[in-house]
Amino acid sequence: MTRRRAVLAAAGFGLCLLVPLFQGAYHLNVLFHVALFAALGVAWNLVGGFAGQLSLGHAAFFGIGAYALPLFHDKLGIPIPLALVLLIVTAVGAAALIGRVAFRLRGPYFALATIAFAEVLRLSAKNLDRVTGGDVGLQVPGLFGPTAPIQWFYISAVLLTAAAFTATALIVRSRFGYQLQAVREDEDTARACGIDAARVKLQAFMISAAFTALGGALYASQISYIVPDAALAIDLSERPAIHAMLGGAGTLTGPIVGAVLLETAQELFKNVFHESYQLIYGVLLVLVVLFLPEGIVGTIARWRRRQRAP
Amino acid sequence: MATLFWSALQAVLDGLLTGSLYSLIGMGMALIFGVMRIVNFAHGAFMMLGMYVTYLLFDQLGVTPYLGFLAAAAVLFVLGVATYHGLLRRIAERSEFMIILLTLGIAQMIIGGAQLIFSGDFHKANSALNTRLLHLGPHLTLNHGDLLSFAITIVLATGMFLFVMKSRFGRALRAIAQNRYAASLIGINVQRTQAVAFGLGIAAVGLAGGLLLPALYLYPEVGGQFTLKAFVIVVLGGMGSIEGAAIAGVVLGVVESLTSLYWGNQWALVVDFAIFLLVLSLKPAGLFGSQRV
Repeated sequence: MTRRRAVLAAAGFGLCLLVPLFQGAYHLNVLFHVALFAALGVAWNLVGGFAGQLSLGHAAFFGIGAYALPLFHDKLGIPIPLALVLLIVTAVGAAALIGRVAFRLRGPYFALATIAFAEVLRLSAKNLDRVTGGDVGLQVPGLFGPTAPIQWFYISAVLLTAAAFTATALIVRSRFGYQLQAVREDEDTARACGIDAARVKLQAFMISAAFTALGGALYASQISYIVPDAALAIDLSERPAIHAMLGGAGTLTGPIVGAVLLETAQELFKNVFHESYQLIYGVLLVLVVLFLPEGIVGTIARWRRRQRAP
Repeated sequence: MATLFWSALQAVLDGLLTGSLYSLIGMGMALIFGVMRIVNFAHGAFMMLGMYVTYLLFDQLGVTPYLGFLAAAAVLFVLGVATYHGLLRRIAERSEFMIILLTLGIAQMIIGGAQLIFSGDFHKANSALNTRLLHLGPHLTLNHGDLLSFAITIVLATGMFLFVMKSRFGRALRAIAQNRYAASLIGINVQRTQAVAFGLGIAAVGLAGGLLLPALYLYPEVGGQFTLKAFVIVVLGGMGSIEGAAIAGVVLGVVESLTSLYWGNQWALVVDFAIFLLVLSLKPAGLFGSQRV
């Protein structure tokens, strides 16, 4: 990332932080979700885009973040800042465990294994109702006190996106980042070059899990009440992947572009088309796969490269 | 002691009956994966369509689901072939990643479309057959509907197995599964064969949906858990192995039924996934049948 681009990115995030000055609660609520999914997409992109491992189980980490907050704070009496640290540790530990099994598999098997882990967590959360409240749900403490306005959550979500974005930007140009991309391009060749593929994939997975869990905690605290079918839904695994793909998997800004487009589009569709928004969502996804396989940012980048070439 | 034995035996019998339908769902998935390397995330969505076709015939014309499933199979076969030619064929050479996303998109489209046309209401098709019970001695009961669907499933699954293993078309399928390029060199029309294979796989899950209709409530999202079950079955049986999927489906049915008996229905799907993860991590080639389609 060149200095000019870094300044641009910082300015962009800075502008996003000014939005609460002009917008009311309804729009901020929508924008909170957009920013939250941008963060999830950026986090997913590290594994799915740069390491090329199609995880469809990130709902597990989201849910761990969402459930760990009330469990640590309300049930065990741990203060919020320490609870946040502990929930990151929990999610990273879970990622290490899941990754250890799932990364022994490749391609579709890996994707299926990650789904299975997330589903086991969701179903366990439904069934172990003495701990999680089951389908009745669980009250979640406010991260910023009991009656914090939506502004706080929106700003936190933007900051989370910025943090994940910065981490990714630094990783991508590091030795670790190049190793990840080598594994994506050809795992066997990468290993033949002396790259410990299992280790770098696992590390990327753990970093991604940490950001995703924070997103989950933020989400849970904002809606203040969680049930397994919302906080651990399969949908939460698929959407960040879809956003990253639409914007351009393996590009820095792709997941943000994808999240902004699809989440605002979904909100509009819900209001304008009501029942049919899911159909339109599906059609969009199919069109992207057929006609924009590198995503929006990826396609623009290639188009500019071609223009620049003599 | 004796009651424990009989309740377990009853659970095994119930599991066998449900499991036979799981086999059909899994065989469809295995056929599609074996021949095209497509992990079909839209499997359950297609099944839901099969259920709606059967339900419409039942609701509008009074056709029993035990006949209506044939229409579901025909409609879904055509739909499967169309989906292959319209969408899947275009990205056959792309990464697995893209193909998975495409089938996810297809699933969203189908579910969204069903939501729009049929709304989210729950429907149920009650068949008189399901209230008639067959008593096997003093302890075991089975209902006629389940038995009929079991018989139909056995015939269909055997037919599908023989078709893939013995017919000329089936040999072409297996040749493509082994090596697509070599198959095209010896004069196999790869695209046409794949289209038919996808159609057959979709028809299989559609007719399983039709046969399951009397046992389930029907709504647009009913297929979701069956997509996941199909994955479990196919991994258990060895990805792409048709006979493996057939055995694995029955095993899964029995395991679920026993889990429900001893731990409660809500743990059945957890046990499914636990088995799935165990098999994936210990024996990724699957438990049954190493032979590919």
